[in-house]
Amino acid sequence: MEQDYILLQELTRRVQGAANIEAYREAMAALTQALQFDYFALAHHVDPRTAGEHTVHLHNYPAHWADYYARHALGICDPVHRASHFAPGGFPWARIGDYIDLTARDLHMLRLGASQGVGDGFTIPIRLEGEMPGSCTFAMRPGRPLDSAWLAFAEIAGRFAFDGARRLMGRQELRLPMLGRILTRCQRECLLWAFRGKSDWEISQILKVTEGTVKRHILNACARYRVNKRIMLLAPTLLDGTFSITEIYGYRDTSFGT
Amino acid sequence: MLHIHDASQFMVGPDAGDRPSPEGPLLRAMFAARKSVFVDLLKWDVPVLAGRYEVDQFDNPSAQYLILSDRDGAHLASARLLPTVHPHILGSFYTSLCEQAPPQGPDIFEITRFCLDRRLRASERRQARDSLICALVDHGLAQDVREYVAIAELNWLSQILAFGWECHPLGLPQMIDGRMLGAISIHIDAATPDRLAAAGIRPSRSLHIAALPAA
Repeated sequence: MEQDYILLQELTRRVQGAANIEAYREAMAALTQALQFDYFALAHHVDPRTAGEHTVHLHNYPAHWADYYARHALGICDPVHRASHFAPGGFPWARIGDYIDLTARDLHMLRLGASQGVGDGFTIPIRLEGEMPGSCTFAMRPGRPLDSAWLAFAEIAGRFAFDGARRLMGRQELRLPMLGRILTRCQRECLLWAFRGKSDWEISQILKVTEGTVKRHILNACARYRVNKRIMLLAPTLLDGTFSITEIYGYRDTSFGT
Repeated sequence: MLHIHDASQFMVGPDAGDRPSPEGPLLRAMFAARKSVFVDLLKWDVPVLAGRYEVDQFDNPSAQYLILSDRDGAHLASARLLPTVHPHILGSFYTSLCEQAPPQGPDIFEITRFCLDRRLRASERRQARDSLICALVDHGLAQDVREYVAIAELNWLSQILAFGWECHPLGLPQMIDGRMLGAISIHIDAATPDRLAAAGIRPSRSLHIAALPAA
């Protein structure tokens, strides 16, 4: 079947401009069908039952599968979601293994999904600063193979569609409230060494301050992010860019000028 | 501070500092920041002058620059606008990203080299980015720009959409030199500032906006 770019573009515009959730679902179903897929799913990778209403969670999966998925909070451990955190762009599910090691539990979940009506799929990662990671997935009924001719448009349409959903939810409301706190230089320094595995005493020796000072800086950093344990600072400070992975795991001692 | 630099008024390039232009040092700082971001960090295969400045054939008198600097004149963020009635990147090299002919007209400009200084911390970076987006819209409205076009890597594309302005795809994305690229159109009108504000994009209070006189 010949791709009709103008038609796909028009369907994408309808998704972008949908006035409410019902119109959005309808437009998204039409776009999904035009892209030769059976299902769509746009989601922030959270447990929707605890994340509250300010999260994107829209799909047309079979109801019994969606119920099972929600009951077991699979959104936060779904191998498709985990792979999307590493994939550079849209990927067919056959390539999940390129990005993460599939556990027995993952394989079980994918098989279970197939038995409940969701076969192969194509997932587009959505990573936005200040928000939980998300994705837009287009999926097939079991037995229907992905047609690679449609994936390029799916890749771009999925991104516009996700933004359309964000607009409906209120883009600003989606921002994680605890992110983007600003730490003092000393707080940041102490925390960085703590994340590198140093004890408060070790940090005090490295930074040439007292152990009490180290403790105080770290407690104050916890207070700024409103958490009560230092380990709880790791995820938000990585997510908001206060620290980078390489800063924590890839460091070398440069104090001797080497 | 926002500096709007219309290159038709000045000699452009890293040598511009030799001329009696008040913006020479700032332009040099921008070309150096572009080298640091696009060549050193993103590994783009683009020309480098004197080992320090990223300058290409589109840095010519028809280019316009929006540059955000701090009070001491250090580069924070910048973008280059190319008129689509002159040779520009989408029309010259990436027409395959457009399903139809690339948009062209006196009121259509291409946003290129959107550059956030690498020295900024995450929070400052976000402020500089949001301020530059607002500046692009304000500048567009002041200059009767109806549409911006841009080429973006798809991951960055999602972030561009998140600014809240009205965007549409111009064609199918393609893998080019190992990067998945797409072309988009950004519609600019009187409602655009409100759309940005509704998405939480507003200029930083600490970055005062003042255009330098163009002479």
